[in-house]
Amino acid sequence: MTKSVRNRHLETSKAHWVEWATGLVSLLLVLGMIVWIAVEAMTQEDVPPSFDVAVTGVAPVEGGFRLEFDILNQGTTTAAGVLVRAEVVQAQQVIDTAEVTLDYVPARSKASGGLFLLQDPSRQELRLRAVGYADP
Amino acid sequence: MAARVQGEAGQDRRLTQRFLVGIGRGGAGALIFGIPMLMTMELWALGFTIERYRLLLLLLINIPLLIVLSHRIGFEKTSTWREASRDAMIAYAIGIVMSALVLLVFGSIKLEMPVNEILGKIAIQAVPASIGALLGRSQFGGEQDGDADEQADGQEDNEEHEFSTSYARELFMMAIGALFLSLNVAPTEEVILIAFKMTPWHALAMIVASVLIMHGFVYAVAFRGTHELTEDTPRSHAFIRFTLPGYMVALGISFYVLWTFGRLDDTAGMQALMSAIVLSFPGAVGAAAARLIL
Repeated sequence: MTKSVRNRHLETSKAHWVEWATGLVSLLLVLGMIVWIAVEAMTQEDVPPSFDVAVTGVAPVEGGFRLEFDILNQGTTTAAGVLVRAEVVQAQQVIDTAEVTLDYVPARSKASGGLFLLQDPSRQELRLRAVGYADP
Repeated sequence: MAARVQGEAGQDRRLTQRFLVGIGRGGAGALIFGIPMLMTMELWALGFTIERYRLLLLLLINIPLLIVLSHRIGFEKTSTWREASRDAMIAYAIGIVMSALVLLVFGSIKLEMPVNEILGKIAIQAVPASIGALLGRSQFGGEQDGDADEQADGQEDNEEHEFSTSYARELFMMAIGALFLSLNVAPTEEVILIAFKMTPWHALAMIVASVLIMHGFVYAVAFRGTHELTEDTPRSHAFIRFTLPGYMVALGISFYVLWTFGRLDDTAGMQALMSAIVLSFPGAVGAAAARLIL
């Protein structure tokens, strides 16, 4: 408990057991968090970003097709400005292309986005990949 | 008879004037505390990108928060929960009106925009602005408030000044302080950018710094409203009973605010924790400041 008199606060020395319980739980949580991060700090190797891009949906929209995708960063470092490009290929010729830049794809995390294509990507060969990134 | 009527009319006028001054102070508070957020473009965007149920939750959580805050601030003037609820609602309304006016002046909301977008932008700003409005009404109160009627019951007032802050209330005040500063900082891209740039070692340093600053703010540096320990209480007691739980509160609030703004979606646990640790840095400062100010 805290005794407050005109903006002067005095912590009482006799504390309710709830205060100690909360304090100890907090102490454990803080220590647990520190240990987790410390273990991570010591064991984690810096793996540069690499991406797994997967199509999650194709739908016809006005003037073409919308291609939705998920991108997973498999590295342990975050990538910024990730450029994702989709190419529709027919007879070894790229007949349509679209690209988008994602602000961030955090380490071991997912981001998602969409691209608009004129050709139906589900009927032809589709190349969907991350082209490049910057370190944040 | 005529004199009494006149007297009542005079009292009425005084009360009205006092009420209007209170509203004015609320508006000023909403501006002072709200401006940094009103001028953050990420928050404008969040007004329409934020998921509606998360926005609703934030708006609802703000209500009990304002009521408790209002009760605490009004405590020195022995206000009831009913009065506290009324003041909280007035503060919320001031927050909404001020946000709408300022956003309108900034050209951030225009009448031809979809209603959904306009409402979202105002609603998200109204939360910090309403906290500001409430703080404004109390902090700008100053000595001018000492009207005749207040001086009359000054005696009993003095006794009411000594009260015991329940432990839960103390943690609640820290939560409000942490929430306020977190809301200020969380919408900006810098929070996640810092988290991305940090290594786990940086994060460890940041945890230690946050906890120490929090403890130092309240116990070591002699601010007005600083907390003191009795002679026979070891320092570690306050550290375990107040500072560490306070940091956990700040961390929890950070997670909540980041989640509300969609910063944790599809993010790996470690990255989410790092972002929360970054945000708890200002959050811890806010929590500590709340213990001093409120």
